[in-house]
Amino acid sequence: MQDQTLNDPLSREGAPFLLQALHWLNQVTAFFGAVAVGVAACVLSWEATARYLFKIPSDWQDEVTIFLLVGATFLACAWVQQQRGHVAIQALSAVLGPRADRFRRWLSDVMSLLFCCFFSWKSWTLLLEAIEDQQISGSAFGAPLWIPYGSMAVGMSLLVLVLFIQVVSAQALKPT
Amino acid sequence: MSTLQIGLLFGASTCLVLFSGMPIAFALGSVATVFMYFFMPHASLDTVAQNVYEEMASITLLTIPLFILKGAAIGKSKAGRDLYSAMHIWLCKIPGGLGIAVTLACGLFAAMAGSSAATCSAIGSSAIPEMRQRGYSSRLAAGLVAAGGTLGILLPPSVTLILYAVAAEQSLGRLFLAGIGPGILLVVLFALYGVFRFQWEQKRAQAVVDAGGESSRILQVDHYTLAQKFAAIPRVLPFLVLLLGVMFALYGGFATPSETAGLGAVLALLLIAVVYGAWRLSDLKPIFLSSLSEATMLMMIIGMSLLYSYVMSYLHISQSTAEWIVGLHLSKWTLFLAVAFMVVVLGFFLPPVSIILMTAPIILPPLRAQGFDLIWFGVVMSVIMEMGLIHPPVGLNIFVINKIAPDIDLIDVVWGTIPFVFLIMFAVLLLCLFPQIVDALPLYFYGPQTLR
Repeated sequence: MQDQTLNDPLSREGAPFLLQALHWLNQVTAFFGAVAVGVAACVLSWEATARYLFKIPSDWQDEVTIFLLVGATFLACAWVQQQRGHVAIQALSAVLGPRADRFRRWLSDVMSLLFCCFFSWKSWTLLLEAIEDQQISGSAFGAPLWIPYGSMAVGMSLLVLVLFIQVVSAQALKPT
Repeated sequence: MSTLQIGLLFGASTCLVLFSGMPIAFALGSVATVFMYFFMPHASLDTVAQNVYEEMASITLLTIPLFILKGAAIGKSKAGRDLYSAMHIWLCKIPGGLGIAVTLACGLFAAMAGSSAATCSAIGSSAIPEMRQRGYSSRLAAGLVAAGGTLGILLPPSVTLILYAVAAEQSLGRLFLAGIGPGILLVVLFALYGVFRFQWEQKRAQAVVDAGGESSRILQVDHYTLAQKFAAIPRVLPFLVLLLGVMFALYGGFATPSETAGLGAVLALLLIAVVYGAWRLSDLKPIFLSSLSEATMLMMIIGMSLLYSYVMSYLHISQSTAEWIVGLHLSKWTLFLAVAFMVVVLGFFLPPVSIILMTAPIILPPLRAQGFDLIWFGVVMSVIMEMGLIHPPVGLNIFVINKIAPDIDLIDVVWGTIPFVFLIMFAVLLLCLFPQIVDALPLYFYGPQTLR
């Protein structure tokens, strides 16, 4: 397995300031994602303990856990892509020649970028609707839905930026 | 366009984008979105993001990141090494005891971590060098660890079974219990093969000595005092208590599966802090980041797979395919064999997560119509998918072994796993002949199932 950081245009030494800023932003969102997973584990532990030991009914814990974990997933999405951590089928790389294979990888990045652009756009419209209509979740807790939709919109937008840089820097087209 | 034509186009497009090398999550999302654009009302495109969010916002699905965190906490500590060492000290008197120790340690570790790759890596990194040092062949050492690692997708808290519970709308508690019997069966089969193969290798080494050749380390027997045996226990006992405590909380009715996941993760982090002193930021950072990376990758695949299944269902592709399969009037076991074959072939290229979510809407209705118990099928499907982890071209565990023991040729790792592929096939046969292996525990704890 090759060291992905060597191929990462964002964390490469001497990268332009904007790319370094995006790299830093991805690190920050990943940090918050990791914290969110830890907090979710604590919330669920509290839910079980409070209900069993102190007979405190659970009303908000599941909702908060869902928000935290969905948020963590989307916020860390760009960071995972930066490390090429989204698993893909690479069976054709053994069949194609080096140039054709590089083109295939570049093309798959372009297709990913197009899909993520669309998904990101729809996430933002969803977020704006949630804010305008003051949408809340269907549970008794009634948490505002802009929270998870916001993390989705921000996370997908960062992912679009990472994919855009990976496509533009055409790292897939360069020999590794 | 007819449903058949749309279905064929849908299947072909999926294959094309998946093999293009696009990340699986984005590939499935792209196919779903393009088919929404061409074959569904345009308003449906406006709800793509909402659909994915609503499918992902399931408390059962969201146990996955927490079980992964628990697995990473235990996997990145020295628990795997200690577990394996303790097993070895206690079982060294039995011929081939080291192989049994490795298999048992893999089973126990898988039950704590719920991940095949984590099990392989944690046990293998200490067990493979040790086995080779004691004269075991590279193939046997690699094969035992790779096969033992597969137990991670079968024994609770298996991510595969969590997804199957959601896709097939079955009880997660029942599925977790149903996985234990087959898990024990596989541990026994792997251990027996380990003993058999050890004795064969030992006889060959003895023959070399008898012919005047050099003695081999495999012919020597280890001895440990009773004090050494008891000294090995305290380090592994807390983790065994964690394993049993989590099961007790779940099946004793004290906690829901999601709470069990949260509690398990918190307790695992506390245990590694107390037992191994892993409480500093530098200790915790790799645990949290590696689990976040794996969980994000999986949750994105899950979210997009669910969008993909929704489109398949809206366009009646899954229903029509299921009806077509039912209309073939295949006998019960022919249908099972066809489905099993499809799962094996898909396992060549796709991870278990995608196989379950993409195929469940198509294969489950015909199986239900033929009278298969879906809990039983879920477990057997997981066992079948275990094979995909140890055979090329994907064979995740093969590559994990290659990474932790780079001095073993990849071809030797592959050859080492082949006997275990046959053992898994044999286990599937046993599960078909004796479904009680799967059913007994859920039946004992939950009683008969009313809805199948």
